[in-house]
Amino acid sequence: MCDSSSDAPCSGSQPTIDPTKYERKRVPGMCVKCKVAKPNVTIRRSLYCKECFVRTCIVKFRTATNRSRKSTTTPRTKLMVALSGGPSSSAMLSMMADFQRMHIKGTAAQPLYDDVVAGHVDESALFPEVKESLIADIAESAGVKFMSAKLEGIFADNGEASAFAKTVDEAAGVSQEVKDRIYARLVKSGANISSKERLKAFFAGLTTDTDREEMLDVLKSLLLVRLARKEECGVLLMGDSGTRIATKIVSLASRGRGFSLPFEVGAESTWFSDVAVYRPMRDFIMKEIGFFNRWTAQKTVVVPTFTTAAPARASIGRLTEAFVVGLDQDFSSTVSTIGRTMQKLEPQKRARDALPCLLCGLPVEHNAQEWKSRLTVNRSSDAAALPYPSRSTDPTDRCSENNGQTAADVTRLLCYSCQSIVHSAAPGTVFPGANASSYRNSHEDLRRQIEMFFIDNDE
Amino acid sequence: MPRKCEICHDARAILRRPKTGQRICNECFFYVFETEVHNTIVESKLFKRGDRVGIGASGGKDSTVLAHIMKTLNERHAYGLELFLLSVDEGIAGYRDDSLETVKRNKTQYALPLLIVSYEQLYGWSMDAIVETVGRKNNCTFCGVFRRQALDRGALMLDLDHIVTGHNADDVAETILMNLFRGDIPRLGRCTEIVTTGDGFIPRSKPFKYAYEKEIVMYAYLKRLDYFSTECTYSPNAYRGYAREFLKDLESVRSTAILDIIHSGEAMRVASSVQLPTPAQCERCGYLSSNALCKACVLLEGLERGLPKLGIDRSARQAQQIIAADSANADPVVRAVEPVHFERLRQKALAMRERRLNGSDTAHPQSSACAGCADSCCNPDSNDNDKDVCACMSDTTA
Repeated sequence: MCDSSSDAPCSGSQPTIDPTKYERKRVPGMCVKCKVAKPNVTIRRSLYCKECFVRTCIVKFRTATNRSRKSTTTPRTKLMVALSGGPSSSAMLSMMADFQRMHIKGTAAQPLYDDVVAGHVDESALFPEVKESLIADIAESAGVKFMSAKLEGIFADNGEASAFAKTVDEAAGVSQEVKDRIYARLVKSGANISSKERLKAFFAGLTTDTDREEMLDVLKSLLLVRLARKEECGVLLMGDSGTRIATKIVSLASRGRGFSLPFEVGAESTWFSDVAVYRPMRDFIMKEIGFFNRWTAQKTVVVPTFTTAAPARASIGRLTEAFVVGLDQDFSSTVSTIGRTMQKLEPQKRARDALPCLLCGLPVEHNAQEWKSRLTVNRSSDAAALPYPSRSTDPTDRCSENNGQTAADVTRLLCYSCQSIVHSAAPGTVFPGANASSYRNSHEDLRRQIEMFFIDNDE
Repeated sequence: MPRKCEICHDARAILRRPKTGQRICNECFFYVFETEVHNTIVESKLFKRGDRVGIGASGGKDSTVLAHIMKTLNERHAYGLELFLLSVDEGIAGYRDDSLETVKRNKTQYALPLLIVSYEQLYGWSMDAIVETVGRKNNCTFCGVFRRQALDRGALMLDLDHIVTGHNADDVAETILMNLFRGDIPRLGRCTEIVTTGDGFIPRSKPFKYAYEKEIVMYAYLKRLDYFSTECTYSPNAYRGYAREFLKDLESVRSTAILDIIHSGEAMRVASSVQLPTPAQCERCGYLSSNALCKACVLLEGLERGLPKLGIDRSARQAQQIIAADSANADPVVRAVEPVHFERLRQKALAMRERRLNGSDTAHPQSSACAGCADSCCNPDSNDNDKDVCACMSDTTA
């Protein structure tokens, strides 16, 4: 539904070309591809028969993968497929394994990637009803190695300080300005509390389902990247379908994540410098995946989350999904339009060099807290125009390892959306640190060395 | 035990603030609301001393509160602005004529000069006549396109430096969502800017960009401001309704969602590889346009010829071709009202400005001199007591 004033080319102005012998007209009522078989399904107003549909899906997947591969310059490496067990990622796994095998068969052809493995995040600590063995079976039937990481592993002790606890001074004498900041102290992962308990306490400390869903997504992405890194895979495939991406775009925008949006739903994302993330299923809508799985007899499981089977207003994610799917029924190209909009947006220049957020690992926008406090006056002092607070860009603002008990001001280290999550969480909640700085260090260090030679565009 | 206000800790809390959920007294509410608008104005450096600012006044709650707040802040913080009320009469019976009565009352209440421009006067077509020709489906397009130009024309008639409109945070968030759903990239890049320019010359801004609609209603209610509130008779089928419904649901799940959407919208950047339309001038009327003819001229042409779909459906290029081909004909379409060319309006405004700066002082609204041209010899039209400008401003003949 593009605006009529934008000068969209109309087909009437092009000269008509005579159909050559390679172009045959559509036969109404028959499959649009082979034109001889009776159609079995309608996708986006086109009719397909079973065989042609499956073949079309496979071709679409391979084209998307090749496009991503060519647009990011990564040397040939191992590839990890993120497998949740749901319909989208299972379909992606079998198509990718098939693609890889096809390349190996030919004698002259080079294998596409050194190896293809499946990566899975085991959420049984939160959702014990899921049978992990089924998911291992899916990987086995695709013929790939299955690697699994437990969700509570985010709290595991890996030698570095990885968790921080929110401290809030609820004393009456505390001034309003202090209340705008977030204070936290370092927590050493001790042996007296297991990671599983810690995980459960963390999710219990978050107050709304919206926050819980957001944190679950964030933790799963971080764990998958960590797993890919451990297995030395340079590429990670995420199975977000077109419908899921459209929903995510609206849902992330509604939560204030516009700054990091291109990295979270983009077709290719190189935010984590050593692992490139691709989303080859973005051209598939859920209906296509459903029929593909049915006709290729693909095994899948149901992946539950906090708001599965809940009413629409349970969380922002659930509300957005209900809305976008409903809107798509009234205006049939909504999902693809939103997806295309995304492709035309790019991250801000500042985003690529920004610090990673302490909680989610994605870029932190400059002055996020100041933006909010300027627009939301909540004190009675006569500070009519709030002065800009002094910029403290000293990275040693973070908690030091020796003095784990002092509470430090971590507001600047959290992105806009994570700030509101931490604000609304119960005091004393222990949050997992993303440790994403170790992913970004090399890039940052490089930049610092050659900083003085860059010409600022504002000069 | 009654709660104390969370800000002053003194008076009893009587309301819960929609933006933050704080429980505060009404004096503190007025204070925080007015301070936030003041902060927005100062941070974005919207005005400079001596600016003549027109307030887009429809008689609805947003524009009434805007007029009240602009006047209050102008006096309290000494912005040094000259304020005017600028109102557009689309010619919708039963809706616009009622809200215009409210604007006329506002003029007296706030002691601000008022100018009303109407579609009938500027273009020769009222909205009622348009809906009779076009039907009920796409009429919002006509109204919106004509109103934008009408505001700019009115601003030139008064020689204004700036226009402010009462768009609030809910409006901006809805616009962002709507542009996202429809894939309207050029608008998505522009809609979060607090200052835009309609005709390329006079900036227009939204001081209420970060103010919630519910808070505006609360302010108007508590201050007992006079405003008119019903929906436009033709509104039910707009696409914006979907975005609005979604936004209302979002707000009930999480109240900060509106500001969060604006924050996300401001962070989005259009890829440099995308081609955006280049601004040019309309050949017929001189307004800002990305095509040879501006949208208003295309729509008007369609109305005059009895082709109501011209400019509405996607064949924009065909529309341009039809008009270009026919204007080469010997006898073009003759109509009752030909919109004045913008160059002429600008020249008139410039002449007014020179007279004002060189000659006598600016006239007071109560005196008998015309507020617009400051010419003491032309008397205000005695039949029309509600306009403070004389017939020179309503001159639309070429």
